[in-house]
Amino acid sequence: MSDVTSPGRLIARQSARFVLRERTVALLSLMFVVLVLISAWLGWSATSTVNRIYLDAAAFLQSAGQPVPTNPVLDISPLSLMRNMSVYVALIGALSAIVIGNRLVGLDRKAGVLPLIGIRPLGRNAYAGGKIAALAGLILGLAAVVSAAAVATFLVLPAVTLTGLQWAQLAGFMGVTTLYMGFFGLIGLAAGAAARSETVGLLLPVTLWLTLTFIFPQLTANLNPTAAINPLSALAVPPDTTFFHWAARLLGPFSLADAYKFASAGLLDYLPVGITSPSFIPPVINLILAAGVALALAWRALTRLSMTQGDYNV
Amino acid sequence: MSDLTLNPVLLNPSPIRTIAAKDIRDALRDHFILTVTAFLGLAALVALVTGAIALRGDVATYEAAKASLLALGKSADAIKAPEFYPLRLLRAAIEQIEIIGAAIAILIGYRSAASERGRQTLSLMLTRPMRRWQFVAGKALAGIGLLAGGLALVLSGLTLILHFLSGIGLGADDLLRITIVWGVSVAYTVCFFLVSFILSLHMKHPSHALLLAFAVWLTLVLVAPQIGDTLDPDNQVAGGVFKQLNIAKPDQVEIMKSFATFETVRDGIEQASVTKHFERFTFAVLGIKATYAGLPLGPILIEMLGNLIWIFLTALGLGALALALPLNPDRLAKA
Repeated sequence: MSDVTSPGRLIARQSARFVLRERTVALLSLMFVVLVLISAWLGWSATSTVNRIYLDAAAFLQSAGQPVPTNPVLDISPLSLMRNMSVYVALIGALSAIVIGNRLVGLDRKAGVLPLIGIRPLGRNAYAGGKIAALAGLILGLAAVVSAAAVATFLVLPAVTLTGLQWAQLAGFMGVTTLYMGFFGLIGLAAGAAARSETVGLLLPVTLWLTLTFIFPQLTANLNPTAAINPLSALAVPPDTTFFHWAARLLGPFSLADAYKFASAGLLDYLPVGITSPSFIPPVINLILAAGVALALAWRALTRLSMTQGDYNV
Repeated sequence: MSDLTLNPVLLNPSPIRTIAAKDIRDALRDHFILTVTAFLGLAALVALVTGAIALRGDVATYEAAKASLLALGKSADAIKAPEFYPLRLLRAAIEQIEIIGAAIAILIGYRSAASERGRQTLSLMLTRPMRRWQFVAGKALAGIGLLAGGLALVLSGLTLILHFLSGIGLGADDLLRITIVWGVSVAYTVCFFLVSFILSLHMKHPSHALLLAFAVWLTLVLVAPQIGDTLDPDNQVAGGVFKQLNIAKPDQVEIMKSFATFETVRDGIEQASVTKHFERFTFAVLGIKATYAGLPLGPILIEMLGNLIWIFLTALGLGALALALPLNPDRLAKA
């Protein structure tokens, strides 16, 4: 017999199918994909508007006999057209990943099938491995859609040509995006397995997401919460005070939203000169480490999940 | 026997109050409301303190630069002193209410509806002598009360800290402005409470309702303002496009006249979100937006009346919808 029916693979396949049938997961994922497409249009629209304003302003300055500065659009890398995508990944992509992670284990618990799975000839490791593989597959699927939208945008826009290095940078951005969504998906999986109630299982990772997205950047760089919706405002030089120096040193490695924003800005060429991530750990390494910790937490929670209880303990 | 004794509904004249009081007691007993209020309070406190520290840093930098200029025998007029309006320090805290406060309102709305369904007590409650709208009104009143109490706690804490942190204290006018902001914050968060409450009460699966409510929250609180913000050309170039092109304000207005349609669409997207109305109103009243700093309250309220009406009409419309929708017996139990 082939290995198609190995327990881990069976669980991964069944879990992914089960989750994809959930209308709320489909709704959030669809919302994410639509917004990614909108973000590509927004990047193009905003840049072309700035270009048209420049042309009008240049004509105005010439008629007034004033010197005409260089077009700011020419200083912008074509990759930065995708800068809004990083905002939507940080906001909706991360939330979608949490919901996917949560539902992967929450649906089993709610349907009361854990005791049935528990009596099957498969180990806890196979169950945990299957769930994590299903999460990886679903997150990679979302990332593939995002990648396709980005690639299609660059291929369709006639005035935009990317070099080989820029295509590699775009691939790097997609890798970082997958890592960031993977972190939140694994936390959603861990909380869904460890929490006693369905609501707490969902609220814990959402609270973590709110904290990382809207509170930590204030501590590390005095960034207002609404800066999270603007890819450029989210990159600022922290105030030069002792408090912010220490906050960046102590909290920087945990400020994952910052790490993702800086990694994205670096890869998509819109990181302003002289601005660096508040963490002493490079942003990409920071995200890899965080995903590793989240993987360990998810593994621990899944392998300790009680297979004797049907529904949530509430 | 009189009608009064025959009609069970008239026997208990205040089922709304009874249900509201019971819901508030429930929320306080399991510490849920205290936990979420503490979270919002912490977020707002971080916002206020980091803002104050950053401002203190700006003042120190200014003082150092001024001392250097004076030591060189030059005039200090060349450098601009940092402006200090104490209420402006509330900016990030208001943004936390705008984002996290709305999310908390969704959770309160979800709990309010889902708790009875989860405990299978909804159908039992509806066998009591009361009308269905009274049940919904009682629940909604409890949610509004919890939100009002939580926000009062957070804003009064911030006011107290601001009073001592600012060094110059707050006056009666400042307190009045903060009170107005509290009232509008309650109305704003009630909108999200009602969205979540209605969905959780009427959808088949309350957990799906919670996710759908969060999708609405994402759209109104983050996506619509993000699109409006991105389409603002001045936000697309570091420092602003006009600043980089060295174009004065009157000329900027002249140039932007040919982008009137674009600006209308951009503003329309922002206007569609109740969050943007909340932000515009509170930023004006607190003088956070530079053009309103130092202006008397009366003219600001007149100018911002449209935003105020929008927020209250949204809350009232959702409230009317919550009362008008009939309770479906198929939705009474845990799903």
